[in-house]
Amino acid sequence: MNVRSSPMHAESGGPARPSRWSRIKARSPIWLTQLGLLIGFLLAWQYLPQIPALKAMGHLFDPYFVSSPQRIARELYNLATGNENSPVIWGYVWSTVYASLLGTAIGMVLGAAFGLVLSNFQFLSEVMRPFIIGMNAVPRIALVPIIVIVFGPTATSCVIISVLVVFFVAFFNAYEGGTSVRQELVQNARLLGADQWHILKNIRLPFVMAWTLASLPLSVTFAVITVVTAEILTGVPGMGSLLGTAAVTGNAALTFAVVITLAVVGIAITLAADAIRARVLHWWGQ
Amino acid sequence: MTYPAAGPAASTGGALLNVDKVSFAYPGGTQVLDNMSIAVPPGSITGVVGPSGCGKSTLLALLAGLLQPGSGRIAWSRDDAQPARHPLTMMFQKDTLLPWLTVEDNIGLHFRVSNSRLGKSEQKARIAELVHLAGLDGAERKFPYQLSGGMRRRTAFLASVAPHPRTLLLDEPFSALDEPTRIGIHQDIFNIVKREGITVLLITHDLGEAISLSDQVMVLTSQPATVFKRFDIPFGAERNFLGMREHPGFLELYGQVWEQLAVQIQRSRSRPVARTP
Repeated sequence: MNVRSSPMHAESGGPARPSRWSRIKARSPIWLTQLGLLIGFLLAWQYLPQIPALKAMGHLFDPYFVSSPQRIARELYNLATGNENSPVIWGYVWSTVYASLLGTAIGMVLGAAFGLVLSNFQFLSEVMRPFIIGMNAVPRIALVPIIVIVFGPTATSCVIISVLVVFFVAFFNAYEGGTSVRQELVQNARLLGADQWHILKNIRLPFVMAWTLASLPLSVTFAVITVVTAEILTGVPGMGSLLGTAAVTGNAALTFAVVITLAVVGIAITLAADAIRARVLHWWGQ
Repeated sequence: MTYPAAGPAASTGGALLNVDKVSFAYPGGTQVLDNMSIAVPPGSITGVVGPSGCGKSTLLALLAGLLQPGSGRIAWSRDDAQPARHPLTMMFQKDTLLPWLTVEDNIGLHFRVSNSRLGKSEQKARIAELVHLAGLDGAERKFPYQLSGGMRRRTAFLASVAPHPRTLLLDEPFSALDEPTRIGIHQDIFNIVKREGITVLLITHDLGEAISLSDQVMVLTSQPATVFKRFDIPFGAERNFLGMREHPGFLELYGQVWEQLAVQIQRSRSRPVARTP
């Protein structure tokens, strides 16, 4: 005879989710208000500086300094198409994105590897701790001059600097993941016949990789910020160098156009990183 | 850690496991086990009950080889009839499922982490067989977070049974479950354990669980623990767990064991108990 209580076996789904349409209906007042705010802001930006009394009040209402939505839209169009002898932005976007992604990838792999090794070997971890904390305390941007001296003002320098930033984000997460493995999991695997190597490979490594991957959205955001900063400081072609050009030539419209492009790129990369994380770590639970 | 069963064969007087006058103290001096002796016949289920904090989990850690006894001997008979059996596994009180593995991969963890003699198809067949025996059909591809508490425990149990172990240690395995779920699991694990001829040591604070599952029940004294009373449980290898608890024989036995356990609980309350980690 087999006795089974029904709740254990009738598990599926959970409560029914509201339909797509009813969710849209519930959210629409919020979206409409947001859209209204945005339009209001753009209108104010465009037209307030045209009021002479306000314009006389200072830089905040001077289109030379704050530009205007219309000029920025025009600048964006020119950047996208190369109209009016404008530089074409795509090459710059690609340089920055490429350096950021490469830096993120290398930084995360190195961070995960160090996190795995140090979380597995207590002695090594104790020895390395002060050095890692010390290294982490150094603002990485301060290292830009040294790296530029060694590698020149090149894309390589930008990648290396972003690796330095991402490494520590990934490393601390990986280390946390490696040390968070509960003792029972290790003992259980051992009793099932696992040796040290299998425990490292089958228990600790997956934890480390999961925790490292959890830091992906943060890491890639940091990487973009670092690469842009490095480009501003070194003049290596990229979004940062365009910002540098805009500053030197006093071109507010170009500055805003680059900033908007960077924001769009940043959101796209973060969304992609979130999607990757959610897909790979679906088992993490809800 | 050394495998307990890999040690030298010793005279165990017909028992699979002989705990012989074992004492253990943690560094710092807390005496946890004192001169404890237990004989576990092969293929039997031995329930161990005792006051909370008396050292039940320390006993399991000693048997699993995670700790070494201060004095006395833990002897395992070398069962030459079944030389290929995996020596020992343990089902922990806390969850040991790996969250990134499906139910069937968790059950087959042993095959993943050790050099199993079974081929891939034999491993698959073994897992499918166990899944069916424990009523987890349809949940094979689910991940732990998608399971109820009862299903998680079933999966963890099957993972420790999959290597076909000679001995299985259960450390308060079902304490977090509600009663109907627990009794359903009792039926399945009892059937599986008897079918596979696994020798089981069950640590529990649920006296009903100990009596209904076991062939013998040991009541431990409060710390430092030793065996206070031993009871034979004459319910055989065919048990109906739903009907069992109303059976007069069960109730009578429950009363007898409880009386002894109550004595020890009373003693443990009359002085502070040193907590074991």
